[in-house]
Amino acid sequence: MSFFMANWVKQSIRLLKHELKRGELTIIVLAIALGVASVFSLAGFSGKIKQALLNESTSFIAADRVLQTSRKIALQDNITQPIALSRDAITHKSQQLNINQAQQVLMSSMVFAGDVMALVEIQAISSSYPLRGELLVNYSINANELTAANAPELGTVFIEEKLLSLLEVAIGDVIDIGESSFVIKAVAKQIPDASFSVFTSGVKVIINIADLDKTQLVQPGSRLTYKYLFSGDVDAIKALTAWLEPKLNDSQRWFDIQSKQSPLANALNKAEKYLSLASLLGIILAAVAVSVASRRYAQRHQSSVGVYKAMGASLSHIRKLYYLHWSLLSVFSITLGLLVGYILAQLGFYAIQDYLPVQLTMNSVNNSNFSGLITLGFYPLIMAVFTGLLCALAFAITPLQELIATSPLVVIRGVNLKPSNQKFRDRVGQFLIPLLALLLLLFVFSSDLMLSVSLLIGGVIVSTLLLVFGRLLMRLSRNIGSKAGASWHLALANLQRRAHANSVQLVSFTIAIKLLLMIIVLRGALLNEWQAQLPEQTPNVFLVNIAQSQVDHVEQFIEQQSIIASDIYAVIRGRLTAINSDKIAKEVSKEQTDGSDNGRKGVGRELNLTWREDLPKENNVVQGKWWQNDLIDANKPQVSIEQTLAKRLDIKLGDSLTFQLGSEVITVDVSSIREVNWQSMQPNFYMIFNPQVLADYPASYISSLYVSADKKVQLQNFLSAYPTISVIDVDVMIAQLRKVIEQVSKAVEFILVLVVFAGCLVLVAQVQASMEEREREIAILRTIGAKGALLRNSILLEFVALGAIAGLMASVAMELTVYLLQSYLFKMQTSFHFEYWLLGIVAGASFVGVVGLLSCWRLLNMSSVTLIRRTM
Amino acid sequence: MNLNSEIILKTQLLAKHVMLEDKQLTLLQDINLAVSTGETIAIVGSSGSGKTTLLSILAGLDLPSYGEVYLKNKPLHQLNEEQRSQVRADHVGFIFQQFLLISSLTALENVMLPAELANDDNAKQQALDLLAQVGLSERANHFPAQLSGGEQQRVAIARAFITKPDILFADEPTGNLDKYTSTHIADLLFDLNKQFGTTLVLVTHDLILAQRCQRRVEMQGGRLINKQHLDHTKSEQLNTDTKIIQAENV
Ligand SMILES: Nc1ncnc2c1ncn2[C@@H]1O[C@H](COP(=O)(O)OP(=O)(O)OP(=O)(O)O)[C@@H](O)[C@H]1O
Ligand SMILES: [Mg+2]
Repeated sequence: MSFFMANWVKQSIRLLKHELKRGELTIIVLAIALGVASVFSLAGFSGKIKQALLNESTSFIAADRVLQTSRKIALQDNITQPIALSRDAITHKSQQLNINQAQQVLMSSMVFAGDVMALVEIQAISSSYPLRGELLVNYSINANELTAANAPELGTVFIEEKLLSLLEVAIGDVIDIGESSFVIKAVAKQIPDASFSVFTSGVKVIINIADLDKTQLVQPGSRLTYKYLFSGDVDAIKALTAWLEPKLNDSQRWFDIQSKQSPLANALNKAEKYLSLASLLGIILAAVAVSVASRRYAQRHQSSVGVYKAMGASLSHIRKLYYLHWSLLSVFSITLGLLVGYILAQLGFYAIQDYLPVQLTMNSVNNSNFSGLITLGFYPLIMAVFTGLLCALAFAITPLQELIATSPLVVIRGVNLKPSNQKFRDRVGQFLIPLLALLLLLFVFSSDLMLSVSLLIGGVIVSTLLLVFGRLLMRLSRNIGSKAGASWHLALANLQRRAHANSVQLVSFTIAIKLLLMIIVLRGALLNEWQAQLPEQTPNVFLVNIAQSQVDHVEQFIEQQSIIASDIYAVIRGRLTAINSDKIAKEVSKEQTDGSDNGRKGVGRELNLTWREDLPKENNVVQGKWWQNDLIDANKPQVSIEQTLAKRLDIKLGDSLTFQLGSEVITVDVSSIREVNWQSMQPNFYMIFNPQVLADYPASYISSLYVSADKKVQLQNFLSAYPTISVIDVDVMIAQLRKVIEQVSKAVEFILVLVVFAGCLVLVAQVQASMEEREREIAILRTIGAKGALLRNSILLEFVALGAIAGLMASVAMELTVYLLQSYLFKMQTSFHFEYWLLGIVAGASFVGVVGLLSCWRLLNMSSVTLIRRTM
Repeated sequence: MNLNSEIILKTQLLAKHVMLEDKQLTLLQDINLAVSTGETIAIVGSSGSGKTTLLSILAGLDLPSYGEVYLKNKPLHQLNEEQRSQVRADHVGFIFQQFLLISSLTALENVMLPAELANDDNAKQQALDLLAQVGLSERANHFPAQLSGGEQQRVAIARAFITKPDILFADEPTGNLDKYTSTHIADLLFDLNKQFGTTLVLVTHDLILAQRCQRRVEMQGGRLINKQHLDHTKSEQLNTDTKIIQAENV
């Protein structure tokens, strides 16, 4: 018995060796290996990129997570009066989870240098700040060298450059804050969590948190913001979140970069979705390639199994032989895939190294083993092997079983392509196993059951539709073909005659092309959106606090220098006191609105109000009408309110709002609700009044400009004449944003390449699968005297027609899918892409045509005798 | 079993029907045939008369719809696929018109295959000997695609004899070969028949080959007619007809 075993093992290995050498298994090996390689490299590499991006972007909040509150969290649990959360408890938990901590306290205060004073924002930081990103300072105004710093030494401060001129001081001078004096140690050039907000960000002064008490600025009733910063690995942060969140009270907010409404968070979210979607599709393509290739494999081996059986081999012998053969093949392919995946990840990593944040190479907290080669980790390895096994087994099991069940009669009656007496249950099982496997794969990768199920069901529906539609198209093309030349006629007749085989082929062509188009189109749409977010001449300077009398001068300056600028907006401070007749002063309390970004700070206390004739750019009326369109009511006092605020305060169209502006009270009706693009770098307002209401109130003005580097000097000169105008320079921030978006785009491209490769593999596998049949056909046509050129053209045209039909169907299907994905998954503006239809059709026709012709080349160049002998 | 031990193959009232679109088609009917051990027998007949169908039942590749078939006293009609496989492994050799070598195995490995299936520990040496006997020693490590049709058929013959089968079935073993090669192949077959005492059951259109057999039976419309002499011209005519039909049937 042991000898018998040795026999099938021997035969199995022999089969594998020969078939590998003869290139018979290339497609299968490549398909499995590609699946494994993409998962390995993507899970590993894009995980790294994601981590790197997150590291980079978390620098925008200087941490992974922030706990923000207006009241200091007590150090210890007070025994007589227990509290939900104490700082001791937080520290304890953080240490347990190996999480780094930092703290900061923010407040507004006056600073003095002799007689000169200025209102600044004090940022008191602990020594471990920042946990993410870098605080860059300049110790000497002459040297242009930036140094990464933590908290200033006791008794010293870092200040923003503006303050030097405001206070007429230099580095090394002394300034007074509260009851204490500080030496200016350096100029802070980049503060990681500097706010995006235009209205509230005063000039920053950074002090050590240990100096805060000395200033005696913290008094009962002073307005403070406490931020507790945390960083650590993803799981630890998750654990901390789970522990912390239930303990939070209403005045405490727990957020990360993604929960902030910033252009960056948006880009990151979408990139992440895109990356996982693309990897999913890549894996689906690889699975399709395996299933196509294994079907062909089974067909190719049918006569061999017939011969084995005719020679008296038992079923169990054949089963063992082929299962072992297939297992060896899988192991080989998976190993190859891991190797290729590793190399790919290294290459990909190398290619984008320049785009990766310095942090990844320097910051040793998370990437201590970062030196030249990256390690991909255990999880990607497991995922990759799992994918390989699932692809190799689930997608090949049905063809394999059919192969093993081959009747020995095939040696007499020739290869029977379809098992004749198939039970319904078997047929269902045939589709069910791969479908379930696919679902499992999708689920494991996305850990999103809804997404997986809908992708799958969508896929099945699309495939069925394609199957039906493809047949119709083929019938149609035959009618057209009958009026065309001989090659076309033959080509289209062939298409039609093999309608069943071809429609299956067509579906896989279509799916491959569709997924490719989808990935390309989505990539384009995302990149466009990101670009649009930060167009070339995004405003990089805000001028705030322009006096009425200065408006003309500013306008003149802008015109003179031909600077691109937003309109100049009046800003009038006012407080919302009532909605209809309900007083709501309490409802819009500080706690609810404070701390949210993008100019919403201070909404609760005082709102920045403005008036306008026209609807500002990047604003859209979603309910009601803008007054300009409504002449009859044009003189009635009206206000247009931003939709999220309207929602939060439950304000409806037609409600009347009462505002207090200084000592005056005005009441206006809400005549429209607006959608505002908060990500546009221009002044945005919650409340915009019609001119009749506010035009006569004293106001300060605000504008945003794009000032190119060469015009900065002119701006400075101009502003030196108007010291009261504040300047907010957001260039650094924009540069940082651009960098992140560039990285994300690179990652997206890397994945695109892998997916394209997977798609091509499906096409090649499918063309190859039809070769055996074609071989016989060519033989017949040659024997009945068809000329080589005619045959070649007809084959080329048949494939071209198949490719073009597939391309067309793929374009339609892609358009639908992209529309759905854009509106539901990415929540972005939908777009149509007719230019890609042409790409789909042309690329489909030429790729399938060329691959088909190349695969047929050998056949076409054989003499008819050889052909006939091969196929008889 | 109360059968004559001299008889290696025996059928009784064998019939084969298939259903074609609700209509029953009779492929074989009332086949009574007995073949003695060591005998050489040719089954001839016009195309479509049922020769291949009969052969596949005699060899246990297919089951009859009715009647009995015994091979080495084993009732094939009562055995399942696995059991018939075992009978084939123990007693039967095959030569097919299409050669049916396994394309991803070398000539040597193809020849070794049946011996390995029968757990013969001397498979390789025997295979080499047989390849030498059919004159293909130098081609042992070539793949089928590298061999000519005649060479492939010689490999198939070597493969058929390696297990020293009691009975060898051959369906048109020379059908795809030229006259000279056909003669050579036939020589080989009968030499091996003499050497090992193998019973030969040949289906053929080749008159010369048929005449070298000790006995000829003719199929007509699914029935068997014993025949000692064949009409030369009719046979030649049939031969060419069949070729054309086959070419169109591919
Ligand atoms: N599974 C089947 N279903 C329907 N008809 C069949 C089937 N198998 C064989 N036949 C028919 O049975 C008849 C006998 O076929 P068979 O192959 O046995 O003929 P043959 O004598 O070997 O012919 P040839 O000399 O051309 O090889 C033919 O008409 C064939 O079409
Ligand atoms: Mg026949």
